[in-house]
Amino acid sequence: MSAPASLEVLGATKSFPGVLALDDVSLAIRRREVVGLIGENGAGKSTLLKVLNGIYQLDQGEVRVAGKPVQIRHPRDAFDHGIAMVFQEQSVFSTLSVAENIFLAREAEFLRGGLIDRRRLNEAARAELAKVHLDVDPRRRCAGLTFAERQMVEIAKALSLDTRIEGDITILLDEPTSMLEQREVDLLFEIVADLKDRASIVFISHRLDEVLEVADRVYVMRDGKVVHEVASRDATIPELHRHMVGRALHHEYYREARQAPGDGAAVLEVEGLTGRHGFRDVSFTLHAGEVLGIAGVVGSGREALARCLAGLEPPAAGTVRIDGRKVALASPSEAVARGIGFIPSERKTEGLVAGLSVAENMTLAALGRFTARGLIRVAEETKAAKSWIERLSIKTPSPATPVGSLSGGNQQKVVLAKWRIAGSRVVILDHPTRGIDVGAKEDVYTLVRDMTDEGLAVILLGDTLEEVIGLSSRILVMRDGRIEAELEAPPGGKPGQVDLIARMV
Amino acid sequence: MATPLLSRARVQNALPVMALVVLTVIVGTIEPTFLAPANLLVVTADTMTLFLMASGVTFVIMLGCIDLSIQAVASMTSCIVAAMLAQYGFVAVPVAVLAGALSGLLSGYVYVVLRIPSFIATLAVSGVMTTVAYIASDTRSVPIPAEARDAWLFWATGRSLGVPHEIVVGLVVLVVLGGVLALTPFGRYVRAIGSQEQAVHASGIAVGRVKILAFALSGTMAGIAGVVMGARLGSGSPTLANEFLLPAIACVIVGGTAITGGVGSIWKTFIGALTIAVVRIGMTFLGVSVFAQQIVFGLILVAAVALTMDRSKVAVVK
Repeated sequence: MSAPASLEVLGATKSFPGVLALDDVSLAIRRREVVGLIGENGAGKSTLLKVLNGIYQLDQGEVRVAGKPVQIRHPRDAFDHGIAMVFQEQSVFSTLSVAENIFLAREAEFLRGGLIDRRRLNEAARAELAKVHLDVDPRRRCAGLTFAERQMVEIAKALSLDTRIEGDITILLDEPTSMLEQREVDLLFEIVADLKDRASIVFISHRLDEVLEVADRVYVMRDGKVVHEVASRDATIPELHRHMVGRALHHEYYREARQAPGDGAAVLEVEGLTGRHGFRDVSFTLHAGEVLGIAGVVGSGREALARCLAGLEPPAAGTVRIDGRKVALASPSEAVARGIGFIPSERKTEGLVAGLSVAENMTLAALGRFTARGLIRVAEETKAAKSWIERLSIKTPSPATPVGSLSGGNQQKVVLAKWRIAGSRVVILDHPTRGIDVGAKEDVYTLVRDMTDEGLAVILLGDTLEEVIGLSSRILVMRDGRIEAELEAPPGGKPGQVDLIARMV
Repeated sequence: MATPLLSRARVQNALPVMALVVLTVIVGTIEPTFLAPANLLVVTADTMTLFLMASGVTFVIMLGCIDLSIQAVASMTSCIVAAMLAQYGFVAVPVAVLAGALSGLLSGYVYVVLRIPSFIATLAVSGVMTTVAYIASDTRSVPIPAEARDAWLFWATGRSLGVPHEIVVGLVVLVVLGGVLALTPFGRYVRAIGSQEQAVHASGIAVGRVKILAFALSGTMAGIAGVVMGARLGSGSPTLANEFLLPAIACVIVGGTAITGGVGSIWKTFIGALTIAVVRIGMTFLGVSVFAQQIVFGLILVAAVALTMDRSKVAVVK
């Protein structure tokens, strides 16, 4: 450790009213090192990132780049010090070309006689794209790219710093894999390994196996502090879990013992269902008390199928029956009225209404039940909300709290409560644990078992294969819009990930 | 975690009321007769037609939309009621209000079903309604005979116990629409759609129907405003409510309802309407010409939008 660390945080402390978000945090990212940063939501990772990106200022402590203290007051300052961030929520502009995105705000470097020299811009972009092995035309508009490609564009943009900055570059990857399928994750890891020649990398993720695979060293944060630091080769997942949650991970992570056999009455019968796009000729039967997992890569059609069943994208052909009665799935109103609840992967846009309170979100799909003579019975609404807040152990100051101020896991529970209150019989979970922390994930798993205990049927599009396998009693594997295989997954007789992957690709 | 005394939300909530009080005191200092109870009653009564227009459009603005047709609708209903009242009696009033409601329905239909941005949809409908007004009035100002007015429009222009009926109508609307917005599923949906439409749709609510209803309500209230305006002036005219669009929208925004949708109330609009009235009278006392007053309303509108707009919701302002 002779050379100074490329990026160092010393005694960082940052408080907000009522919370100490960072409590004397010190960490160092050495040159050409991949560092994993893990912790539950609220552990302080995001705050630390925002400090490094100049969005928040520290109360105490300092940030050093190559051994020298620096002031980061604006994202631009971070950029100038060689710190680049690749956000979870992508910041690629879909109407601009790939090249324009990479060199956004740097157009001045490509001016000739007051106009942008497009040829030179595209050439430079091509060189940046080569660094991340992304083979797309720099003139293409980003709207047509896949999520993974857009992410690569963003990484290329971060990397383009090295043509501009003298010193070292540190790239902060915030949950880069949460939206990627396995194949894309593998590609990302190859690129990260490549990048080590050029930059230091901070890899922030909920997926510990991925962190261990890609990082040289791991920092664990909890309650605003760094509680553990370990070289990846010496670390084990259960140990990291223990440090993250401050207790040993439950043996029964997916509550398999509570898995129902799925021999209840048929609730949802799907026959020859074909979407306007994305999937064809899908047939299956869903029973009360069953968790039906659907596995598949991006483009396999499973997302489109889930949205179709939720009434969001009406089908082109086929029949769907709920309790033996046909349902057209022409609109979400129809689907909801017939007992289908949809927990979308885009929680903030389709799951919750940020401007409404916790209670108002919970009753949104069943407001009629809380209405008498045209007026909402607020007292009863609050009572119902309180009882669900307790049942699902939702952490909120009160039912009247704006739902936007809750943590991701608690927000997800509010969405769940909405469908429980609406009396849904079939609940579709589209990536229900995306972007929520380990503790909240376990809560969601418990809640899934609670639902099936009460005779609800669940369709699960898991965030990871492990999750699909662990929770489901039966798994459909989709490929190219069709059902490729159907596997039983009884407790103790679960198929392996390899079995599924082989059928997925 | 206690809310800080001067949190942004609290300041935004208290600001309109504070502005109203401060402005009233300022105008009262310039012209002490302004604060005489009799004068305050007259000022409030004068404000109510503006409030009626603004109360309906509050629902539309809370959706995050806009209704630019309200002044044309109000002018049109003034013509209808003026043209019909002498011959048909009270029936003219519901007919005129119904015409307003239908106009709102049309705007809502064009916006929701044909998927045209609301400002274009209502601008187009506004043109149609102006033509209807010209037809109903035969392109002239139509007087309302005094006896017909006293017989059928006393509810709007009379006085009981010294209180002008405009104020009673305004207060009834304040209570009823305030209740609709705050306590009914429709009001809840309007607020929710303005905040996050996709989530409301995914929750199985017929979003399109709620929106069309909100536009119909806006048209209805503009229709009622037109009838009351015609009654007060003793005539209907195709240009009667011209110059009312800007102040009406200013009322909503000055009261603290966000142009970006999701936040607001009828009560806020009521405060906003009184504020606009006090500003208008203050300018008159100061000798600002009626035409120059529009400049001030424009400035107030811009300032109020800047203060209430939720910028996190619109990454790009268009």
